[in-house]
Amino acid sequence: MTLLVTLALRALFRDWIFVFCNVAVLAGVIVPLLVLYGVRNGVYDALIGDLMANPATLQIDTAGNQSFTPADLAEVQGWEDVRFATLKTRSLFDYVNVRATGGRGRQEALIAPSGTGDPMIAPLPGLGPDEVAVSPALATQLGLSAGDGVEIFTQAENRPRQLVLNARVAGVLPPGRLDGRVVMADIGLLDLIEAFYDGYALPEHGIDSGKPLADRAGSFEGMRVYAAALDRLAPLQDRLETRFGVRTLARTAEVTSVLTLGRNLGLALALTVAVAAAGLAASLIFGFWGEVVRTRRTLANLGLLGLPQWQLSLFPVVQALVTAVLGLCVSFLLFRLTAALAERLFETGLTERGGLVSVSPAEALAIAAAVIAFVGCASLAAARAALATDPATVLREET
Amino acid sequence: MADALVLRDLGVSLADGDRGFALRVPELSIAAGETVGLTGPSGTGKTLLLELLGLLRVPDAGGVYRLCPGDAPERDLTALWTRRGRIARLRGRLFGFVPQTGGLLPFLTLSENVALPQRICGRPDPGLVRDLIDRLGLGPVAGLRPERLSIGQRQRAAIARALAHRPRFVIADEPTAALDPENAAEAMTLLFEAAGRTGSAVIVSSHDLDLLGRFALTRYRLALDPDHAPGRPVSRLVAAEDGPEAA
Ligand SMILES: Nc1ncnc2c1ncn2[C@@H]1O[C@H](COP(=O)(O)OP(=O)(O)O)[C@@H](O)[C@H]1O
Ligand SMILES: [Mg+2]
Repeated sequence: MTLLVTLALRALFRDWIFVFCNVAVLAGVIVPLLVLYGVRNGVYDALIGDLMANPATLQIDTAGNQSFTPADLAEVQGWEDVRFATLKTRSLFDYVNVRATGGRGRQEALIAPSGTGDPMIAPLPGLGPDEVAVSPALATQLGLSAGDGVEIFTQAENRPRQLVLNARVAGVLPPGRLDGRVVMADIGLLDLIEAFYDGYALPEHGIDSGKPLADRAGSFEGMRVYAAALDRLAPLQDRLETRFGVRTLARTAEVTSVLTLGRNLGLALALTVAVAAAGLAASLIFGFWGEVVRTRRTLANLGLLGLPQWQLSLFPVVQALVTAVLGLCVSFLLFRLTAALAERLFETGLTERGGLVSVSPAEALAIAAAVIAFVGCASLAAARAALATDPATVLREET
Repeated sequence: MADALVLRDLGVSLADGDRGFALRVPELSIAAGETVGLTGPSGTGKTLLLELLGLLRVPDAGGVYRLCPGDAPERDLTALWTRRGRIARLRGRLFGFVPQTGGLLPFLTLSENVALPQRICGRPDPGLVRDLIDRLGLGPVAGLRPERLSIGQRQRAAIARALAHRPRFVIADEPTAALDPENAAEAMTLLFEAAGRTGSAVIVSSHDLDLLGRFALTRYRLALDPDHAPGRPVSRLVAAEDGPEAA
């Protein structure tokens, strides 16, 4: 077997022009495809990356004044497309005043509901009943950092006293997620504020007058849901709207257009690959086969000297595989050069992250395996021809 | 000396559209170390007979083709064709071939070509390779590829290669046909001498009776049956008298 491989290689590299031809043909097909694939990945990844950089991309908000119960929430949380869901209190009461405990300045801020598993507050796992997460703007303006105490003030026209809630800053949100001054708190805390507006007594927070809290029915104006993945956003939005008969708001159009673009680019690439592969297959099949016909005396000679036919049939396969490996090396080298050139040409940079042309090592490995298998298959016709070698021709044919 | 190859009532039939050809071997035995000369006009099946001997051609059913080594049980060589997988290996071990021209691999040097049968049989013997190359006067060109050798050098290289793995039989089909008379005689002499050194029997075909006449050989002749059907010649092997004779 080693002998066979050695002989096949010796024969192959004596006819280096034939090797060069096949390597050039391989590289001529593989390099443009790699660049196309790389650009598709690079551009698509950049667009997807921009979308995924903000968890709010996956967010669906119910619109208008609806009525949701904790049972509704539990149902939605059970859907497999849902990564996180929370109820929302009335948006009328979204504004609070925030002050660092012991500090001077007070800032008006939007308060938004959160809970365990909320992607908006990741990497925080969740918020305790007296914990909040604050937006970077609010943190800067109040000089807050994780661990600081804050006071949250709420005033209502019909209430003689303001509600003051003490909380601890569990963390400051990463930049880019929420603009402006925002406090994120557990839905329980927001519900407390709503109860305050609605005139209920909250003795443990110093509000003694008002209706007893026990009379209050648990109903919420809205729901906020995060889809598990980009391609689940549109179906989830449809499902929410049909199930509850409500309108919802989400960035579905934007997400869908990027996904469609990706799919279309993928289809175009697949079509190109198919056409190129057909041409390449024809060229290789006839190339390898023609080579066996051309060197059949060599094969017949080896048969005469005692190499079994099945080994002779491996001769063109070994040569094809070596050619494939060489072709791949040249292709990836040229691809790197082309990619570097392309990056330079588009230096405005479509993306801040990563390259414009990107093929991951795992993808490169899969492509290499596919090419080797492809070339190996293309050599099977040649292998068949070699299998039919008649060693007697060495005695019979004139050179 | 024990007979080494025995053929009896063995035949091959070729058919190609309305063309047909049949070869009959009533009796042929080749002893170890023997030198056999095969003559006959062109087209009488000399090459075909050598193919038959060299396990390159399926014989017609019914004949006898046996390998009788002195030290091992007899072996029926016609039975090999039912399981072809082993034929190539056995052929490689048992026989060395000197084709009419060339037969060297173009991508190996002369000495690599000579050593190749040893590598295929898994019996490397660099000493013998060197010895054969020197005896055949190829020392100075041993590192060259066949394309840089003269025809005479190529034939001598082919002789060296046929003997390199010490085969029991060397089959040489008109090995000197491409050479001028002087070189032809020299090459033939070298072939017999070198075969003597490796202990191989030689079966050599030639239509050149003068040339074969110069050597001491067991002679056989192929001749067409006079009464064959039209378009379907039958050639028959007969033992010939010693010395030159008319074809
Ligand atoms: N496929 C075939 N069908 C019929 N006859 C054939 C075929 N191949 C060769 N022959 C005939 O076989 C005969 C023997 O050929 P060959 O062994 O080359 O003779 P030689 O070597 O003595 O010149 C020739 O007459 C040739 O015409
Ligand atoms: Mg002949």
